[in-house]
Amino acid sequence: MADRPEREVRRGRKGRKKVCSFCVDRAEFIDYKDVAKLRRFISERGKILPRRVTGTCAYHQRALTVAIKRARHLALLPYTSD
Amino acid sequence: MADGKNLYETVIVTSAKLGEEGSAALVERFKALIAEHGTVQSVDDWGKRRFAYPIQKQTEGYYTLINFESTPDFTAELDRRYQITDGILRTLIVKRDPRHVMAIEKAKKAQAQKAEEANNIDVEAIAAEAVEAPAQETAE
Repeated sequence: MADRPEREVRRGRKGRKKVCSFCVDRAEFIDYKDVAKLRRFISERGKILPRRVTGTCAYHQRALTVAIKRARHLALLPYTSD
Repeated sequence: MADGKNLYETVIVTSAKLGEEGSAALVERFKALIAEHGTVQSVDDWGKRRFAYPIQKQTEGYYTLINFESTPDFTAELDRRYQITDGILRTLIVKRDPRHVMAIEKAKKAQAQKAEEANNIDVEAIAAEAVEAPAQETAE
């Protein structure tokens, strides 16, 4: 049971397990003012990248989403750009 | 908290049309307002920044961050004042978790230490000089 998700990742293509970059940094919270860091988690069009792309854990993805939305409100990050 | 006060941080984005003095004066007014209802802990002026998207057809504005402590009901009043004040384009009031505040302070300290280490020689030399100078004076 426990190793089932791992096996599913292995099927098809060889996958490297992604680690949440916030967990690595032991970040307790995500700052909406840190634009440089937040930029790594939005696409070129300004969309928030999904967890499956960035490897962020669920806990930090939720916090990240809030941080990005706050930054957008203050026009530190775009809502959209093309 | 026991005294019913919370830590908050607020960002004020003022229109670049006001100019540097105009926006500084506006921020000063809000600083005074916050000081009336709580305590201002720190003010961080980010200066003029370009917007990620135009706001009211403007492309830049002045950003100011104020950390303060107050009772929860004051934030509503502060927000109301923000809404009725001309020249303010965007505002944000966020409650700061005391645990996070401590983590930030720690990180800040570590960063300052790192920066100090980078120009360690200079700092040490200056510090040594600073200590030496008054010591000599007293000796004389």
